[in-house]
Amino acid sequence: MTLRRAWFPALLGLALAVALTFLTLPILAIFVDQSPADLVTSLGEPGALDALWLSLRTTAISMAIILAVGTPAAYLVATRSFRGKAVVVTLVELPLVLPPAVAGIALLAAVGPAGILGGTIEAVGIELALETAGVVVALTFVASPFYVRQGMAAFAAVDRTLLDASRTLGDSEARGFVRVMIPAALPGLAAGGALALGRALGEFGATLMFAGSFEGITQTVPLAIYDRFATDFDSALALSAILVAVSAAILLAVKLVQRDDSLGGWGEGPARAGR
Amino acid sequence: MLAVEARTRLGTLELDVALEVAAGECLALAGLSGAGKTSVLRVAAGLVRPVLGVVQANGETWLDTERGVDVPPEERSCGYMFQEYALFPHLSAWQNVAYPLRGLPRGQRRARAQELLERFGLGELADARPRTLSGGERQRVALARVLAREPSVLLLDEPLSALDARTRAGAARELAAVLREVDTPALLVTHDFGEAAQLGDRVGVIDAGRIVQEGTPSELAAAPRSAFVADFTGAVVLTGIAHTGADGLTHVQLDGGGVVTSTDGGEGAVAVSVYPWEIAIEPADERPHGSAQNHIHAEVVSITTVGNRVRLGLAGPQPLAAEITAASAERLALRAGARVTASWKAAATRLVPH
Amino acid sequence: MRCVLALGAAVVALGAACGDDEDENGGAATAGERARVVVSAAASMTDALEACAPDFGDQENADVRLGFAGSDELAAQIREGVKPDVYAAANTRIPGELHDEGLLEQPVEFATNEFVLAVPKDSGIDSINDLTAGDVKIAIGSESVPIGSYTRETLAKLPPEQEQAILANVRSNEPDVKGIVGKLSQQAADAGFVYLTDVNAAGEQLRAIELPAELEPDVTYGAAVVKGAKEPMKGRAFVDGLTDGPCADALQAAGFGAAP
Repeated sequence: MTLRRAWFPALLGLALAVALTFLTLPILAIFVDQSPADLVTSLGEPGALDALWLSLRTTAISMAIILAVGTPAAYLVATRSFRGKAVVVTLVELPLVLPPAVAGIALLAAVGPAGILGGTIEAVGIELALETAGVVVALTFVASPFYVRQGMAAFAAVDRTLLDASRTLGDSEARGFVRVMIPAALPGLAAGGALALGRALGEFGATLMFAGSFEGITQTVPLAIYDRFATDFDSALALSAILVAVSAAILLAVKLVQRDDSLGGWGEGPARAGR
Repeated sequence: MLAVEARTRLGTLELDVALEVAAGECLALAGLSGAGKTSVLRVAAGLVRPVLGVVQANGETWLDTERGVDVPPEERSCGYMFQEYALFPHLSAWQNVAYPLRGLPRGQRRARAQELLERFGLGELADARPRTLSGGERQRVALARVLAREPSVLLLDEPLSALDARTRAGAARELAAVLREVDTPALLVTHDFGEAAQLGDRVGVIDAGRIVQEGTPSELAAAPRSAFVADFTGAVVLTGIAHTGADGLTHVQLDGGGVVTSTDGGEGAVAVSVYPWEIAIEPADERPHGSAQNHIHAEVVSITTVGNRVRLGLAGPQPLAAEITAASAERLALRAGARVTASWKAAATRLVPH
Repeated sequence: MRCVLALGAAVVALGAACGDDEDENGGAATAGERARVVVSAAASMTDALEACAPDFGDQENADVRLGFAGSDELAAQIREGVKPDVYAAANTRIPGELHDEGLLEQPVEFATNEFVLAVPKDSGIDSINDLTAGDVKIAIGSESVPIGSYTRETLAKLPPEQEQAILANVRSNEPDVKGIVGKLSQQAADAGFVYLTDVNAAGEQLRAIELPAELEPDVTYGAAVVKGAKEPMKGRAFVDGLTDGPCADALQAAGFGAAP
C-alpha cells in the first residue's frame, strides 16, 4: 500500500492503541503497586475474606434466581408475539440504564421498610434492608436485565423449525425447550450470564443504599474496597486485584463455552466438501 | 392410511384441501411457492391447527375440529422431514438420529442410529456435527432421523430442493427407493413437477390453496384440466378463441396471430397446450410437409442443450418451446435469430377452458 | 500531505482542549475569566455550603466547585495526590494529620457541631439506653469517617456491657452521614448517630435525641488550603469565609456552632 493510502489504517491502529492503553493501564496499576506477598497478607485480614465469601454467596444466589426466572421469561418474549410486547421488552431492559443510585432508591421505595410493599414483606417475616437477603435483591435487580436481554436475542436467533422438529420427533414443547432451544441458544445465554455475573459482582451503589454496609452481612467486596481505601489503600488494592482476577476468569470461561459450542464462536474449521 | 382435510385461512391464503394416501403409497403435492403445500404438511403434523379439519392416520384420529380432538404433535407418530433439514446443531449425526428414541437404553439408541446411518452410507460420519457435513450428507441424516422411530406417516417438505443439481439426481433415486421400501403412507410436497412425477405414485397439483387436479403423473401431463396444470406440468400454453369447424375439428384463433387445430372440443376463450417434444422444427423457407396441421412461424431466441436433446426458445406471436435431438439441431444449423416453422399435430393439441 | 494536515489538526485540537484551564504559576486566572475554587468538604456540610457557595462566588468573582464525601475519603484522595483548593473536615484530627504529612496548610477550627442520637420521627426510642434492646437496628459511621470515630469514642464512655450491647445491634457501617440519614428516613434502621445539622437538614423525618453532657464528644470542624492548590488565595478567602462571611452564616443557619 502506498504511503498516501496508509494513513487510514495507521489512524485505526492509533485509535486501538489509545483505547487499549486507557483500558488496561488502570488494571495493570492494581497489580503493579504491590508485591504478591503483600497481596496475600492483605487478604488474610479479617474483613477481606468475609467480603469475598459474601460476594461469592450473594452473587451465586442472584445468578441462580436470574437464570431460573430469566431464561423462561426471555424465551417467552422471544418466541411469541403478543399485544404490548414492545412495552414488556422496554420494561425488562429499563434497569439497564438506571444509575445504581437510582436503583437503590427504587428498591427502597418498592420493598424498603417504608416502601410500597414494605408492610407486606415485614408481615410475612422477611427482612431485606440491612440484611444479606437485601444484597441478593439488589444484585438481582441490577443484573437481571443484562441476562434477559441477551437471552431474548439468543432465543430469537434460533431457527424456529428446530423446535418444530423436536415436537415432530416426540418432545412436548417443555422438553423441546430444554433439549433443543437452550443448547441452541447457549452461546448467547452464556454471554448474557457473564455480563450479569460481572455486574452483580461489581455492584456497589444500590447495595450500599438498600442493604447497608456491614462486615459479613452486607459488605460485599466492592463495599469493602470503598470502606478500606481511605485508611488502608493496600488492602483495597488487594481486594481489587481479586475482583479483577475473578472477572477475568469468568470472561475466559464464557469464551471457552462459546468456542466449544457448534453454533457460534470463533475458530471453527471449514465445512467439509461433499462426497 | 392417511387422510387430511383442512379448511382454514393462513394470512391471505384460503386453504381448502382433502386428500387420502394409502399405505405404502406416496402422494406428491406439487405447486408454486405460497400455494399452501407446506401448510398441508403442518396440519397433518399438528404444527398448525386449521379452523376446520380432520386428520386420520393409521386408524387413529389425530384431529377433528368438530369433535374437539387435537392430538399434539409430539403424540402423533409422524416422520417430518423439513426443507432445511432442521438438524440439531449441538448434537452429532448419530445423536440427531437417535433423538426420538427416548425410551431405549443408551447402547441400543446408538446401535439403531448407527444402523440407519450405515444404510445411507454415513457410517463413518456418526460423530460429526451437522455443520461439518455437506448438503447431501445432511439430507441423508435428516432422512435417517425421520425413519428412526418407524413413524406411521411420512411428511416430506421439499426433500430435494436444498441440494445442488448434481447431488439431487442421486438423492432422488435413493429417496424413491426408501419410499418404495416402507409401508407407511407418505405425503411429499415440491415445487418441481418432475420431482413429483419421479417420487410420487400420485400427484396432486395445488394452486392458491386448492388441489386442482389429482392423478398419476402421466394422467396429469396427458390430460391437464386447466391451463395452470398444463403449464405446471411443462407444456407450452397458447391462448386464443376457439370455434368448431365444419371438418369436426376445433379451430383456435390465437391471440397475436395464427390458427391452430385441435381434436379436442372447445368454444370461446381457450388455452391450447402441447408438449415441447411433440413440436417439429423446419427452416422457415421450406414448405412444411407431413400430416401435421399446426404451423407457427417463429424466430429462434435461445438454444439450450439438455443431454442429447436441445430445447429451443422460440419467439412467435406467442412464446413457444420445442425439444428436438441435438443431431437434428446440428443438421438444421440452427442459430439464434434463425427463422423456423414449428409444426405439430392437431391430435397432440389439448384444449382447456381459459 | 493529507496525513500531515490531519495529524497537525489533531495535535492542535488536543492542545486547545488541555491548555485552557491551566494557569502558569498557580496564580489568579487572567482578567475577565472567573477563577474556579475546588472545595472538598465533609458530607455533613452539604446543604449549608451548597447554599452559600454562589454568594461566596459573587463576592470573590469565582466559581465554587463543591465535592462532598466522608472526611476520611477526601483525605485519602489528597494523600493520593488529588489537589482541591480547600479541605474542610468534620474533625480536627484528620486535617492535623494531613498538615503533619506536609499536604495541608495550618488548619483552622471554623465550626462545631452537636453529636446526637437520631431516630425516625415516630420512633419509640427516647434515649441511648433504649439502644440495648434486642431488636433494635442501628446504623453508624465506619471507623475511619469522623462520625464513626465520634460514635465509637462516645460509646466507649459507656459501661462496657452497654457498649457491647449497643455495638452488637449495629447493622451498617456507612461511609458518610448521608448514608446513615438515608437508612433512618427509609426506616431501614431504627436509630443512628449523626450530627444535629443532619437531623435539621432531613426536615421533619428525623428526631434528634440529645446525649448527656458527659457523653457528648467535642465535635470541632477544621479546614485549610491544600499545599500545591491552584487557587491558594481564593482558597484562603474561602477558609476565612467559613468563620466570617456568607458561608459562616449558612453554617450557623443549619445548626452548626460558631468556631471555638
